[in-house]
Amino acid sequence: MLKKSLLAVLMLLFLAACTEGTDVESQNGGADESGNTDGEQQESIVIGFEGDAATMMANHDVNYTTDTLIRNIYDPLIDRDGQTGEFVPVLAEEWENIDETTWYFKLKEGVEFHNGAEFNAESVKYSIDYILDESNGSYYRSRWVDVEEVVVVSDYEVEIHTSRPFPSMIERITEDLLIMEPGYVEEVGVDTASNEPIGTGPYTFVEWSRDNHLKLEAFDDYWQGEPSIKNAEFRIIPEFSARMSAFMGGEVHLFKNIPVDSVEEIGEDRVGEVPSSRINYLALSNLVDGPLEDVNVRKAINHAINADELLEAVLNDYGTRITGPLSELNSNYVETEDYAYDPDLAVELIEEAGYTPEDLTLTLDTPSGRYPMDSHIAQAIASQLQSIGINVEVQVNEWGNHLEGVQNRETGDMFILGWGPAFEPQSTIENLFTEDAPYSSFYDEELEEKIFETNALFDEDARFEGYAELQHDLVEQAAWVPLWQQADLYAINESLNFSPRVDEKINVFEISWE
Amino acid sequence: MLDFIVKRFIQVIIVVFLALTVVFFLIRLSGDPTTLFLPPDAPREQIEEYREQLGFNRPLYAQYGDFMIDAVQGDFGESLRSGEDALGLVLQRMPATFQLAFAALIVSLLIAIPLGVLSAYKRNTLFDRIGVGLSVVGQAIPNFWFGLILIFIFAAQLQFLPSSGGGSISHMILPVFTLALYSISRFVRFTRSAMLDVLNKDYIRTSKAAGAPTSSLVMKYALRNSLIPIITLVALDLGVLLGGAVVTEVVFSWPGVGRLLHQSLLNRDFPIVLAGVFIIAIIYAVINFIADILYAYVNPQIRVK
Repeated sequence: MLKKSLLAVLMLLFLAACTEGTDVESQNGGADESGNTDGEQQESIVIGFEGDAATMMANHDVNYTTDTLIRNIYDPLIDRDGQTGEFVPVLAEEWENIDETTWYFKLKEGVEFHNGAEFNAESVKYSIDYILDESNGSYYRSRWVDVEEVVVVSDYEVEIHTSRPFPSMIERITEDLLIMEPGYVEEVGVDTASNEPIGTGPYTFVEWSRDNHLKLEAFDDYWQGEPSIKNAEFRIIPEFSARMSAFMGGEVHLFKNIPVDSVEEIGEDRVGEVPSSRINYLALSNLVDGPLEDVNVRKAINHAINADELLEAVLNDYGTRITGPLSELNSNYVETEDYAYDPDLAVELIEEAGYTPEDLTLTLDTPSGRYPMDSHIAQAIASQLQSIGINVEVQVNEWGNHLEGVQNRETGDMFILGWGPAFEPQSTIENLFTEDAPYSSFYDEELEEKIFETNALFDEDARFEGYAELQHDLVEQAAWVPLWQQADLYAINESLNFSPRVDEKINVFEISWE
Repeated sequence: MLDFIVKRFIQVIIVVFLALTVVFFLIRLSGDPTTLFLPPDAPREQIEEYREQLGFNRPLYAQYGDFMIDAVQGDFGESLRSGEDALGLVLQRMPATFQLAFAALIVSLLIAIPLGVLSAYKRNTLFDRIGVGLSVVGQAIPNFWFGLILIFIFAAQLQFLPSSGGGSISHMILPVFTLALYSISRFVRFTRSAMLDVLNKDYIRTSKAAGAPTSSLVMKYALRNSLIPIITLVALDLGVLLGGAVVTEVVFSWPGVGRLLHQSLLNRDFPIVLAGVFIIAIIYAVINFIADILYAYVNPQIRVK
């Protein structure tokens, strides 16, 4: 009896081994590619990534993970320079703002999709129409609703007509729009196209095993030239320690988001750092009732918090201080004055507002694990404020609940939030300092009028003047305690040429082996 | 017997129904997910519009009613993020989870039963004490920690095995052992005590007195008789292994249902979570259902109750 059951178990094991046969081969192939044979290593790269894409469909899921992966397959019309954040023409050669509601784009000729179809004005129209068509359920539609129509002027020219002035059109196109192949999507349907994408990008799709890996192959006919790395694999490893082990063991050549306290372990020579366009700040909300409705109290808190110390002590200096609502990477950025660390002045200001520090009991909401050391920063802020006598309760929230709290104005007096990638002032200022905007924490009637006036301006000089003034006003109003630009930290294999981008993207086309 | 089967089957349905209901309301406690899907600069009207489109503006009981009506027909809706069929996405992941669970079960049995038998046979020797001690430790070690330790030793330091991912036998070894650790510990202890129980029985003493050789005494008479309760435990553990591999799957990036559920919970992709719970509840309930029937078949006393 026992012999028989043992035999049965062995048979089962054997069968299990057999059924996986096909997978084993493909996986071994993968292992070799990432392995140590030098010749092959030059050809391929394995990138460890924290989360998987939700879909391979372009223009659908507003999510950093989805976008980063599929940008290797699809091209945008306009991209950003990886270091400066400036606009770079890609599939659009030139563009022009004809009038307040019309934008003109001249497109690149001679570009082919992976299936051989030609890229032209129809592809652009189709891609934007995909966003606008409600039945597609694209989450991008929310910020494209003002687009009325896309007009094909000729094979390589399009115009976008908007129902309202849309000064941030170029920003929208750069950040959101990827170009799909209309014929392909029509032919195979959205379901298939969502799993087997076709674009004009540097890499063609090979295989997507959800939550496991995405394998790509260089597109030999890429219009910008053949990619130097032939095979690219994004391996999805959600757990940081596992990602790090995979990197240490040589299975993975590159990954993003090293916690600041693990930099040493990886070795500083293998860590790449770039100041991200994502900023972290402490909102001093005047949208919830409380002492922070008084500008003097808000100023006092600015004087009582030593952001330089936080950056040094909690973040090991991985971050770049900001003093106003925008980082240097923004167009129309101006330098604003910093509130000096001055606890005595802080106490004075609080007394001016009719309180004593001991009267104040403030609540500070923070997410945990969303931004580098976020909840630790909150604790450190609390203790800095406590040192002048203000009582602070730190409330740590799960991320979804934190967002909902901010949106429904159900946070405490202060909350920690990040914002980005942020390259232009309109989105940041309108969304974070007006009464109705979901993630706003600040409202001032006069300022709000000025914000909307400035947003509608098309003249570049007037726009600059307007935003410069707004930045100074917001600092004067002490709407936030501005903290820093996050440092994006990457673990990079010693012989890999890779410069981290300010917009958090990982474009394999820009990577090569030494 | 038929009566018994029908009764147990109704219980299966009730279990699945209750599991879905509890999970439906529990995940709603985390709030409305609409904003997580939209860009942060989406205006308020847009958020409202999507909320309406996704049905989250309606009263909870109405949402629940609709969900149940659709669920009964096998329709769990579409993924909120990607728009694909939720149940389909879950079913796609089942093979990977089955593979891991069955492999872990087989490994646990192969290791645990001989160890349990030996422990019982050499009761109160050093071997037995170490064995029992280790199995207590094995049950107490959290498997995410054990998994990370294995990754650290075998993938990062020795570089024998891949740290994560799925597909081949080498990818399976670490997650299988991580997952099997708990079952091994349980099985060892259970086999040992079941064996001890039987070894103390009169008929064993009698056959010993009659001069039966030790090996056949242990293997033929004792083990066979203690296997029956072990089989029940195995059935129960298989359910746990199939449904409870979430942590192991996340640590090893194993592309199974557990990973999908974990990811979907973080993303608030409710339809996928509910479809996943549905499948796991059914598997769990059906395995128990089969175990019950087998038991009733073997032991008629249970049927009478």
